[in-house]
Amino acid sequence: MLQISYRQLYRLALFLLLAPLCARAQFTDPTPAELSMTSLPQAPGAPAVYLFYEQMSDGDNFMTSVYVRLKVLTEKGKDYGNVELPYYWADSYMSVDSISGRTIHADGTIVPLKEKAYAKMVEKNVDGKVMEKIFSMPSVEVGSILEYRFKVHFGYTPAWRIQSQLYILKAHYNWRPHSGSTNAIEWVSRLPNGAELNHGEVPGAGLTASRKFFDLTVADIPPAPNEEYMPPLDSFTYRVLFYYHSATSKEEFWRTQGRVWSKDLDQYIGPHDGVKAATRQLVSPSDTEEAKLRKIYASVMGMENTDFTREHTTAEDRAAGLKKIKTTDDVLARKSGDRNELARLFVAMARAAGLKAYVMRVVNRDHNLFSASYVDFRQLDDDIAIVDIDGKERYFDPGQRLCDFGHLAWKHTRAGGIRQTEKDTQLAQTPGESYKSSNVKRIGDLQMDEHGEVTGKLDLSFTGDPALHWRQVALRGDDTSLNKALRESLEAMIPQGLEVRVTGVDGIAEYDNPLAVHYEVSGMAGSSTGRRLLMPADLFRAQARPTFSAKQRTLPVYFHYTSITQDAIRITFPSTMKIESLPAKEDILYKKIATYNVSADQTPTTYTVRRNMALGDILFQPADYPELLSFYNKLETKDQEPVVLVHADAGAGAKPGR
Amino acid sequence: MFPSLRTFCLIASTACLSAVPAFAKDSVPDWVRAAMTQPQPKFRAEDPAAVLLDETVLTVGSDGRATEHHRHVVKILRPAGRDEGVVAVPFDNDRKLLSLHIWSVGPDGHEYAMKDSEIAEFGLPGEGGQLYVDERYKVANPPGRDPGGIVAYEYEVRSRPYVNEETWFFQSELPGVKQSFTLQLPAGYTYRAVWAHHDKTEAVDLERQRWRWEMNDMPAIDLEDVPLHPSTVAIAGRMTVHYGPSGTDQLGTWQGVGQWYNDLSRARLAASPEIAAKAAELTQGKTDFFDKAEAIGEFAQKGIRYFVIERGIGGDQPHPAADIFRNRYGDCKDKATLLASMLSTVGIHATWVLVDTRRGAVDPSAPSTYGNHAIAAIEIPAGYNSPKLRSVVTAKSGKRYLIFDPTWEKTAFGQLEWNLQGGYGILVEAGASEVIALPVLKPESNTLYRTASFQLQPDGELKGSVVVKSFGDLSESSRDMYSRQTLKEQTDNRNRTLGHDLSTFTVSDVKVENVEALNKELTTSYTLDAEHFARSMGALLMVRPRVLGTDGIYVDRKPRSMPIDLKEAKLEKDEFSIELPPGYAVDELPDPVKLDLGFAAYESSTTLSGNKLHYTRTYTVREVTLPADRYADVQKLAATIDADEKNSAVFKKQ
Repeated sequence: MLQISYRQLYRLALFLLLAPLCARAQFTDPTPAELSMTSLPQAPGAPAVYLFYEQMSDGDNFMTSVYVRLKVLTEKGKDYGNVELPYYWADSYMSVDSISGRTIHADGTIVPLKEKAYAKMVEKNVDGKVMEKIFSMPSVEVGSILEYRFKVHFGYTPAWRIQSQLYILKAHYNWRPHSGSTNAIEWVSRLPNGAELNHGEVPGAGLTASRKFFDLTVADIPPAPNEEYMPPLDSFTYRVLFYYHSATSKEEFWRTQGRVWSKDLDQYIGPHDGVKAATRQLVSPSDTEEAKLRKIYASVMGMENTDFTREHTTAEDRAAGLKKIKTTDDVLARKSGDRNELARLFVAMARAAGLKAYVMRVVNRDHNLFSASYVDFRQLDDDIAIVDIDGKERYFDPGQRLCDFGHLAWKHTRAGGIRQTEKDTQLAQTPGESYKSSNVKRIGDLQMDEHGEVTGKLDLSFTGDPALHWRQVALRGDDTSLNKALRESLEAMIPQGLEVRVTGVDGIAEYDNPLAVHYEVSGMAGSSTGRRLLMPADLFRAQARPTFSAKQRTLPVYFHYTSITQDAIRITFPSTMKIESLPAKEDILYKKIATYNVSADQTPTTYTVRRNMALGDILFQPADYPELLSFYNKLETKDQEPVVLVHADAGAGAKPGR
Repeated sequence: MFPSLRTFCLIASTACLSAVPAFAKDSVPDWVRAAMTQPQPKFRAEDPAAVLLDETVLTVGSDGRATEHHRHVVKILRPAGRDEGVVAVPFDNDRKLLSLHIWSVGPDGHEYAMKDSEIAEFGLPGEGGQLYVDERYKVANPPGRDPGGIVAYEYEVRSRPYVNEETWFFQSELPGVKQSFTLQLPAGYTYRAVWAHHDKTEAVDLERQRWRWEMNDMPAIDLEDVPLHPSTVAIAGRMTVHYGPSGTDQLGTWQGVGQWYNDLSRARLAASPEIAAKAAELTQGKTDFFDKAEAIGEFAQKGIRYFVIERGIGGDQPHPAADIFRNRYGDCKDKATLLASMLSTVGIHATWVLVDTRRGAVDPSAPSTYGNHAIAAIEIPAGYNSPKLRSVVTAKSGKRYLIFDPTWEKTAFGQLEWNLQGGYGILVEAGASEVIALPVLKPESNTLYRTASFQLQPDGELKGSVVVKSFGDLSESSRDMYSRQTLKEQTDNRNRTLGHDLSTFTVSDVKVENVEALNKELTTSYTLDAEHFARSMGALLMVRPRVLGTDGIYVDRKPRSMPIDLKEAKLEKDEFSIELPPGYAVDELPDPVKLDLGFAAYESSTTLSGNKLHYTRTYTVREVTLPADRYADVQKLAATIDADEKNSAVFKKQ
């Protein structure tokens, strides 16, 4: 006999009550203004605009319905006539249906969507498959209004990512969570001025249980900005992200969840017997704390980091007699692991050596910034290590293979996250690095012949993040690929037409030493006016382009890391030539945060140009942009001043030939 | 057979994380072991991997349906070669995959056999227009895929029922040690083999309707560091085998290939009343052939949204014209179909031309369906002539056709986009089908003219107005930018382009005309203010007469063996005048340049008239492909342009 519960009865009643209303409200008649719209003054050249976007989620029915009204303004806007709706399918876990739509031409003609949506398999493996429902709106023209609806059947906590590529005139979001949930619902939001998330509870009546609700209406949302050197997009777009939790406050969440995380981590880390034994073999009791840690760091750095090779399959592990990784002993036995496994092994070995060592889990700054208000551990990415050496805590990045001892890869600097402490956990931020840590030195010593062709050596050395970049390029490839990348890197800097050969690379695997790359170059570096030869003063800046192209700025300027670059180029020219002009010495300063200076000196047959550029901060607010832009404009203009050489017998009209 | 797909590496790596482990019966078959132990040539340091064995057996059944059995063994030579060990076997609803087995051997010698549950399946993502596509790939990330490791696989796949040819690709970006193709035909069948980009090789007759071709120790085609190189498929050797019952008419000829496509697609041209009505509306009041064809051509070009629709036979066969018209969307063959259908209702005959967007891929000596694009050929009435008809081909029948691609949204009607020029295509005209050479248009059909008038301030600042007029392919990127990008994106793009020549500048008063009028010059005008343009070096003032616009060609100094692809025929002209500040006298002006190499010409001059510096240059490219032995001339052209673009005029303060 068919059993039916009160809840099902309620759902059925609600459906019957609302069904006629839904049918009536299927689509919206366009206004004359919408039909005649050809552009949007708020977003000049916008390909399309959302006239209205609505997302309604019903937790009891595990269903979200989406309704879109979109106006096509340009040819590119027609691309929005193709709609792809991905869904994860495993035993009917999730589905997309009830797709309906129509295209309304600017003259009001309506073309209904008749073609059935195409269910396309995107990925399938033993766990299930990812599908897409695809449909294309019919008869899309510039000026068309595309209007469609669909339903997604899936019980999930909504994440309202409001800002999109398009301007939104109006949007409405609503969520009625599952009425049976007892957990508290929290959210983190970033909303435009004037927008407010409404939430509350509708009391139950009769058979109907009370329901929480969240409702948001927003208007005039500009597209997500896209500017040069901007902070990670995920860190500043408008959104409301919901989550369930049992904690009473954000502080309590991080405290309680942090303890769970730390306890699990400590069980994994140990140190267990294997790590203890190996550490005893590695370090001597008489070593200083730093000496011990350097040995441990070197040991971990010598292991295979699968982030730079490839993750081994279970079959390979079995073939090698390796069991599933449960503790740092298992990582040690493999002498191989991913970045987090190796970071934890480093902490385990440090602890085994008697040092106070902790794990900190951070958000990678290359794609997001940490938000303590967003109480979700999933925002955290990588593990780094904190070790107390002689009473001072220092930060280490053993998961970033060949990172300098006592330094962090840039994406882990000034990064927020949660860390272990002696007895608990706490939210924290990693320190930044001095600009001196990331140092690039570029030295040139070239001889010029009477035709203006140069030959000679260029020697580049790197420390800090630039060195780590090249070392990790090497880890992912081999000598052939590294040399090619190094050659192409230099070719992109120096005057086109110079032949480049990599003659040596020193210290590619020695993270504690500078990385040195030696090149030989030959060819025409300058341009001839006839009697004169114009040489780029700093060959390494010959192909430099303006750092910033925009005059205005809405977002902060965000560089990856602080740094200093020092160039020195000496050219020895034939005695048949003489210097007519050298760039004058100049110093340019930006608020003591960034400095630039260039100078040149000469002998009868040589000239030497020196250029230094230091950047001492990574974040500059929009209000600082005009001055920052001016700084870069000045130095980039100065960089273009050439060295002018003239043939000694120029008065006789002699010209360099080729 | 197919190349390893680098693009699948990432997705495959995630897909296989959840795979069930395989450790039983992990031993490779003897044919894998034989391939591993055969003598191997010395590979280049640049080779990421090498194909030790590639073996195809094509068995045609008595019903004409073929089954392909394929074996492939690849050795990973370098870390970069790990991607080459990712197995990706394509199939679709009409090309059923019957079996797939994968093995690998780690550098340590351990052998693995993968289970079916370890093999994932991927469809093509929709981004990039691959929307309605049923092509899928069985993808696996075999263990031991490190330098020194071996990956081997074997599969069997049924060929599409409506196809009677198979192409064997025996040259790729990897060196091939031992490769073979075996054909097994039923009694009463015959075949014809044709060779592209390679000399014919005789088959070994294995008797009983069985033949084998071998192609061993084939070097890799490595174009990665070769400037101005043609597409890999334009030079890689391949063989196509056509098969059919003995006496099959035109087997393995262009006529036969065209007839096949004609039979597959001709019925799709049927025009509905709505199509006829629209064609009549578009051509109302027009009597001239070009005007009528242009109106309909532009409708197919702009009014039909493009995206890929390839499901089953739909990969080759167009959709019915009525469906395409009703939905206003389709792929390349659909657009060409609707164009031909609409034209037929106003008395103009048109048909398909099957081409490849990679110039040189279609080899006139190797008839096959190989290609990736469909365009249209519109028959020109006898005796009709017009200067607007620029892309014209005369068939063997004496009929003239205007070749037009309705998919290329920014090509003016009457022209043909650059990458098809100089290539070949199959003119589909039933029994009169043939391969046709697509014309290289005159440089005057593809132009870019920059004119500017500037005033130089005493502090080196340059102010003035710029007008840029472009037509043909040289206008395409700008037309695309102005029709598809936001104002901010347009500004950023313009600034990036000008940033190649100027450091600190402001652009204002931008005006653009004729963005959508493809048969008119796209005209952009703006005011430019460039600070520090002229350099004061002591008493000298250095001024670069070529203020903006870069025509440089990148070349290297290495010996050349590959043909040269110059991309497009074109004509570019610059005329700039700079009014100098008072108090300066000329000290030195760049010498005039004049170079004519036949395939291209470049000339420039800088003169002073009163206090105005005038710079003019003309750059013409007449041919699009050159043999390798002309590389020295290309180097000379590149050096000439580079020197001229960097040249400065020198003035002295009086």
